[in-house]
Amino acid sequence: MDVKREFEAIVKTAEKLGTDASNFMDKRIASIIISGNRVIGLNNIPGLKLVPTTLEDGVQVDMEIEQNTQIPFPVHVCTGYLEKKGYQRVIFNIRVKRNAKVKFTAHCVFPQAEEFTHEATSNVIVEDGAVMEYNDEHYHSDAGTIILKTTTNAVVENGGVYRNTFHLTKTRVGKLEVKMNLTLKENAVGELVSKVKASKNDEVDINEIIHLNGEKARGLAKTIVVGLDESKVNVLNEAYGNAPYSRAHISCEEITKGEKVIVATTPILKITNDLAELTHEASIGRVSEKQLETLMAKGLTEEEATELIIKGLLM
Amino acid sequence: MLELVDVSYKTNEKEILSDVSMKFLPGYKYAVIGTNGAGKSTIGYVIMGLSSYKPYKGKILLNGKDITDLPVTDRAKLGITLMWQEPARFEGMTIENYLTLGGKLSVQKSEVAEAMEFVGLNPNLYLKRFVDKTLSGGERKRVELASIILLKPKYAILDEPDSGIDLMSLSIINDVVNYIAQYGGTPIIITHREEMAYSTDYGYLICAGKVLMHGKTKDVLNAFRNTCETCAHPNIPETNELRK
Repeated sequence: MDVKREFEAIVKTAEKLGTDASNFMDKRIASIIISGNRVIGLNNIPGLKLVPTTLEDGVQVDMEIEQNTQIPFPVHVCTGYLEKKGYQRVIFNIRVKRNAKVKFTAHCVFPQAEEFTHEATSNVIVEDGAVMEYNDEHYHSDAGTIILKTTTNAVVENGGVYRNTFHLTKTRVGKLEVKMNLTLKENAVGELVSKVKASKNDEVDINEIIHLNGEKARGLAKTIVVGLDESKVNVLNEAYGNAPYSRAHISCEEITKGEKVIVATTPILKITNDLAELTHEASIGRVSEKQLETLMAKGLTEEEATELIIKGLLM
Repeated sequence: MLELVDVSYKTNEKEILSDVSMKFLPGYKYAVIGTNGAGKSTIGYVIMGLSSYKPYKGKILLNGKDITDLPVTDRAKLGITLMWQEPARFEGMTIENYLTLGGKLSVQKSEVAEAMEFVGLNPNLYLKRFVDKTLSGGERKRVELASIILLKPKYAILDEPDSGIDLMSLSIINDVVNYIAQYGGTPIIITHREEMAYSTDYGYLICAGKVLMHGKTKDVLNAFRNTCETCAHPNIPETNELRK
């Protein structure tokens, strides 16, 4: 497939996730489009450098945002794979320098993939006073045979803010492993949110970890998973309070529907400083009866009510 | 007409409602009055047909048709709805989506906006907000009232609509109740507060799961004030003055 057609195919799929394709043509918007192990689109803007390196089986991108720079539009990162079989590895090394501010909109699109493994590793450093938001949305084929492994290692330095969301709610999952490892220094704020809808025989493993290493650091790890049919879901959320007046909350909500669904959640909270504060909440089960009956009392059937509630949860 | 005929309900072998008979006529406003624990909310849940509230005896009739075994959705489609004392919260669901039932309720955007304004919520500020815990108790109830306006039910059961809200919201509730009656619907207010029941036409006084009396709201409220509010043994019928 030539680059033009590849570009069109990937962008067209990304549009299904709500992306405005014109963003990839807009010179004011930083963007990178990866297909397999090739970069088929790249736009740098002042204050931000995206430097790709081709790997044998994927692409590494070093991303740097200059200090005191506010990137006006979200940086678009689109990773695609258009073949049915194969392996793709992407490595993103992101450094947001002091007091810079940036938001990323990332799409991973694998519309044809059947026997396919995608491994993504993000190494993130948010320097003092910087703010970074990374929203990652996936679009897979309906084969349900994709293996996706995504690992994020993020360090947020003093006074920095980092938000990471991972969404895989619109298509089959396949086999998913999400690992997010967040270290927060003094006065840093970090938020990890994962939302996944697993159906048929999908398998989901999510592990969100927060290390509160700096005084007054604040963290939130939140996971919402809907497990349908005979899917298997395992969520392990961890928080470690190592510094005074640091706080973290971990939350896991798993909605199940299907007699063969297997869902588990495990929270781990550990404090090594007695002035730290950690809390957690977790729930597993069918959609709350009160929520269902509230909507049914307005005329929706149980199926319609369930669908509406789940849609909201995964938004 | 919505009618309860000798309805009895128990849970864990405890009798919650005993031979309750009530009639609600179209276009009139009703109050179901009683102290806390009298069984008022249970009456609402039984009428709505909630899954854990199936009567073991008696019938619920709607225009003469037995609806006792109908599921919640079917009753709603026949024009019955319920506003819970503490309405459920929905993470990620916008107020707009909630009010339009995800687009399944056929209403115009302008009607949604009007309903919001009716209950004192600015649609521009609220429609994109979520029906979650970021709303205060009062805001959540106003959203529920807006929902009732849009649904235009024939019978709207409002369970303690005034609990946990400010004075301003109280007048909004009255406006909604009057609105329902104006279009020919029947608001049924479940309450233990006199000021909430005042504006209704007829009342039922409930004690220990039984109807103690019914009639014009004014008379029922008198009985409630003089007997139930001063009763040293609320919801113990044997010691209740009216029962004697």
